[in-house]
Amino acid sequence: MIGKELIGKESESVVIKIRSEEVHRFTEALGIPFSHLVPPTYVGILSQASIPGFEAPLPGMIHGEQKITYLRPLYVGDCLTSKRRIKDVYERKGKLGSVTIMVIETSGYDLAGELIFTSSSTLIAPAKVESE
Amino acid sequence: MKRLLDYQVLDRLPIRIWTPNHIQVRQYAEASGDFNPIHLDDNYARQAGLGGVIVHGMLTMAQMAAMLTDWIGKEGGLSNIEVRFEKMVRPGDTISCSGLIRRRSKNALECDLEAYNHKDEKVLSGLAHISIQL
Repeated sequence: MIGKELIGKESESVVIKIRSEEVHRFTEALGIPFSHLVPPTYVGILSQASIPGFEAPLPGMIHGEQKITYLRPLYVGDCLTSKRRIKDVYERKGKLGSVTIMVIETSGYDLAGELIFTSSSTLIAPAKVESE
Repeated sequence: MKRLLDYQVLDRLPIRIWTPNHIQVRQYAEASGDFNPIHLDDNYARQAGLGGVIVHGMLTMAQMAAMLTDWIGKEGGLSNIEVRFEKMVRPGDTISCSGLIRRRSKNALECDLEAYNHKDEKVLSGLAHISIQL
């Protein structure tokens, strides 16, 4: 069940190293050449600490929007700490009935604590599925 | 060859054509760790009301980002990309990723982004901010 009580819940910080093998695998899957500058959407797949009380994806959940902002470039070999937070949960009535919208933001900081990026996902879940 | 600095408002970016298939979707699932069965299991995806497997939204976004980074080269950097997934993309679709300069200042460009499938349906729209290295 997802509801407003989840707003503000966050994961612990995890330390991540941007590994060459993993970026290689990623660029190969995309069909693009490997480069030390990490592909912009790579931060969307960083191993993520779980948020207590919430497990994604829920059945039937789809990805509605994604926003990624870089304050500086991210390179292979960089170390960072990353954290996820539920920014918002709300209901919206649309053509297909009532849906629940959830916004989850991942932030990445360098080891000095400076923000490197934020990546924000908007997920859409059919509102009434859980009660079946 | 046109340089990043030469781009003006309403100029179009070089288009990227992309045809996802089941193998790539599987490969992306493995590379990203996103094994949601709506991308991999046709029966599951049908039962979920999606009419069959769909391509990861993040894979489509990555192709749009690749269009941008190819274009930017070493002349600048992508500082922001935001997209809305307008319509599901399926293996076998042919997707064209395109962009248009919407605003520019001395050292920054703002671009509108759009991707269409082969049926001319918009599958993605968005916005990107690029900083130009002077």
